[in-house]
Amino acid sequence: MRTAKPHVAPFVGPRWYVAGAWLAAALIAQSTVLHAFAIHDVVPSLVLVVVVWYAIRVDAPRAALFGLVAGICEDVLSPQSGGAWTISTTLVAVFAGMLSRGFFADSMPLVCAIVAIATLVRSLLFWTVMGFEGYPAGLGMLHLREASFQAVLDAAVMLIAMVAVRRIDAGRA
Amino acid sequence: MFALIGIIIIAALLALVQIGAERSGSESPITTAGTSVLSFVQTATMMAAGGVRSFGSSMASLPQLSREAADLRADNARLTAENARLHELAAEYAAESAVRPVVDLYRGLEARVIGFPPENESRAITIDKGSVAGVHRDDGVLAAGGAIGRVESVGPFSSTVVLVTDYTSRIPAVVRRGRWWGIARGNLGSVRVEYLPEDAPMKVGDVVVTGEGRSFHAGIPIGTVTALERGDATLYQTAIVKPAVDLGALDRVVVVPH
Repeated sequence: MRTAKPHVAPFVGPRWYVAGAWLAAALIAQSTVLHAFAIHDVVPSLVLVVVVWYAIRVDAPRAALFGLVAGICEDVLSPQSGGAWTISTTLVAVFAGMLSRGFFADSMPLVCAIVAIATLVRSLLFWTVMGFEGYPAGLGMLHLREASFQAVLDAAVMLIAMVAVRRIDAGRA
Repeated sequence: MFALIGIIIIAALLALVQIGAERSGSESPITTAGTSVLSFVQTATMMAAGGVRSFGSSMASLPQLSREAADLRADNARLTAENARLHELAAEYAAESAVRPVVDLYRGLEARVIGFPPENESRAITIDKGSVAGVHRDDGVLAAGGAIGRVESVGPFSSTVVLVTDYTSRIPAVVRRGRWWGIARGNLGSVRVEYLPEDAPMKVGDVVVTGEGRSFHAGIPIGTVTALERGDATLYQTAIVKPAVDLGALDRVVVVPH
């Protein structure tokens, strides 16, 4: 007897290679030229912006996989971070992927707020993991000012990106 | 007939005026008025003639002027590009010249900065020399102005250098003026020299240099004291040091083997 195949909605999120290309571009920019535009020693995290952008448009497993890849890449490029970026970025991607079930991913204020919160949460998770790896406690507080400023910058980058995409879409239409 | 007589009378009067003026040695009013009016006419005529001549010659040489203008524009573009290239060469030469003495002094290995950590959590740089070029872990890294950090990890063709301002950086340090020893620890934007003797009469402006250690030879500048922290019930004091090198604008560095 044939069992009925459960209905599965087709995947409508961004293509993995498109997201991968954006991630690669963000990583290269962030590890080279973006440093020259640091404001008070803080640069926006384009990687996190790309991860959140992807995560809020796909399901949690895809978001987790994307966050895992992004985190590993960041750990490879960062000295002494161990696996802290891998863990923190993956968890933030999962959270963003789960959150996206509850709001419209096209709402600019909501997405910018999510990016800002994700920046702070990721920083908190990162320094927590670094603490487990043997780093002294209190480093998270030492970086709180930078994390807060970076949250603002990340939200601004996401806002600019969304406005630009909408303009392009409107131009095509 | 009357008109002719009138003209003769006027001519005679004018002649009398001229003769009178000639006799008295002064300029006749008729001559003065005539030359004044004539001078205006002459000026206007010459200006008009000059303008016409100039316009004519311009029109005649217009094709040549256009060619010359095009040549000048091309020359200007070429010289602008050449100027930019020479400025870049001069900047590169200046950067090379700045680190060359350090390379010679310590028999070091010149390297260029090619990357940075993607996030803000650490103060580090990536350089374009690795184990293939002879870089080892814990080698000291200098710039023209002083110490900037030590090699943290080495790949075949690149290495990661942890800067002196990174929180994990620890360097033996000496205050040059009094030979007081301490430990220079990174503090993000600055360096904290800790465990300095409480009774050391340090002051703002003292120069802090490296002590002989695993990564650095003695005497390499780390920075200048900008503030001092002294507790009431502590055995030590802490100096806040501004790095000797602008760590935000690194380009060429020197890896010193230990």
